Amino acid sequence: MLDISVSKEKKLVRQVPGNIASDMDGEKIILSIENGKYYNLGDVGGEIWDRIADPISIEILITNLMEEFNVQRDVCEADVHNFLEHLIEEGLIKVE
Amino acid sequence: MDRETYLFKAFGFIIRSDYYFQELGYLINRDNQFPEDINIRIEDLSTVWNEEGEVGKFKVKKNHTLFQVKDTAVFCVKDGNTILVCPFNGTEEDKIKLYILGTCMGILLIQREILPLHGSAISIEGKVYALVGDSGAGKSTLASEFMKRGYKLLTDDIIPVLISNKGESIVVPSYPQQKLWIESLHQFGMDSSQYRPLFDRETKFAVPLKDQFFNKPLPLAGVFELVKTEQSEVELNQITKLNKLQTLFTHTYRNQIISGSDKLEWHFKITTKIANDIFLYQLRRPEFRFSAAELADLIITQIKEEDLLHA
Repeated sequence: MLDISVSKEKKLVRQVPGNIASDMDGEKIILSIENGKYYNLGDVGGEIWDRIADPISIEILITNLMEEFNVQRDVCEADVHNFLEHLIEEGLIKVE
Repeated sequence: MDRETYLFKAFGFIIRSDYYFQELGYLINRDNQFPEDINIRIEDLSTVWNEEGEVGKFKVKKNHTLFQVKDTAVFCVKDGNTILVCPFNGTEEDKIKLYILGTCMGILLIQREILPLHGSAISIEGKVYALVGDSGAGKSTLASEFMKRGYKLLTDDIIPVLISNKGESIVVPSYPQQKLWIESLHQFGMDSSQYRPLFDRETKFAVPLKDQFFNKPLPLAGVFELVKTEQSEVELNQITKLNKLQTLFTHTYRNQIISGSDKLEWHFKITTKIANDIFLYQLRRPEFRFSAAELADLIITQIKEEDLLHA
């Protein structure tokens, strides 16, 4: 497993180019051109997806989401890391 | 060189063709100057085939797909408006025509960004319901059951779906013909000697439609995916979320050319749009029992429920 929590403030996350997004039943749906698979990111996932179109530090991403959704840091960090790790496994994003 | 051509209307297009199709609505005689949307021409494709062709494969480029049907012909579909046919000597013309109205039209529709679903489409109370499924799933047979009950058919093999200016999913009628297996003809009390077999496939017959054909576009309201099972009972289950997209992809006619034609993004966008607007169900039918009447009852009941939900 990729440990993206280590010195996370230095790491930048971004979408891998070439995936296409659309909305279905109010949720963000992604098609990976690479593997032809469909992904449902849900509504909050879609919100995160839009925010990582350009490289952004994970620290800033988490801070922004905490403000927007009014959640505590530990909850937000856990959820975001979990979500990003799934996206990394599927090759939809890059952390560098 | 001038040769005789014919004008037809099918799939919502005016088609000028070197072949005569008795299954299509013959439009006007060739002297009339009518701007055609699609051209079907017999042409020598040996050079392009020798350069690019590969037996058993679709050679797909953007707006250009080349393929060969063994012992039949080389076909080239291009620019969303042209089907070129290079027949082999002694090929049955009926077989060539089957591929023109089938595979070639499917590819052409994708090039024009009209979604070709594989199945039959029936009109119920002013809306279209698509019956999709793999070959032999029972689409045409179920469509016949609906026609027996007085409902009309818009198409029986390729269902062209487009998004109107108003953002509605619309089904365009293809042409007035059904293809039925001999077993289905017998079940419906039809005499196979009255119908033309589809070329040498003597067990499947071309059945022309007259009053049972609906010839105007209508909005798409639902998709029913037919699946054969070994169970003895029929079963209806709603298809939800991502499975909706997967189902629409699986039953897109000739979906293997989408990627090479640079149409993945279009296909994704149009199927999510359609999935937003309509309901989808999977209909499981027993493999070894004739269940068309039961299936039609189930569908009608479900449509009524959906109408109540969204009224």
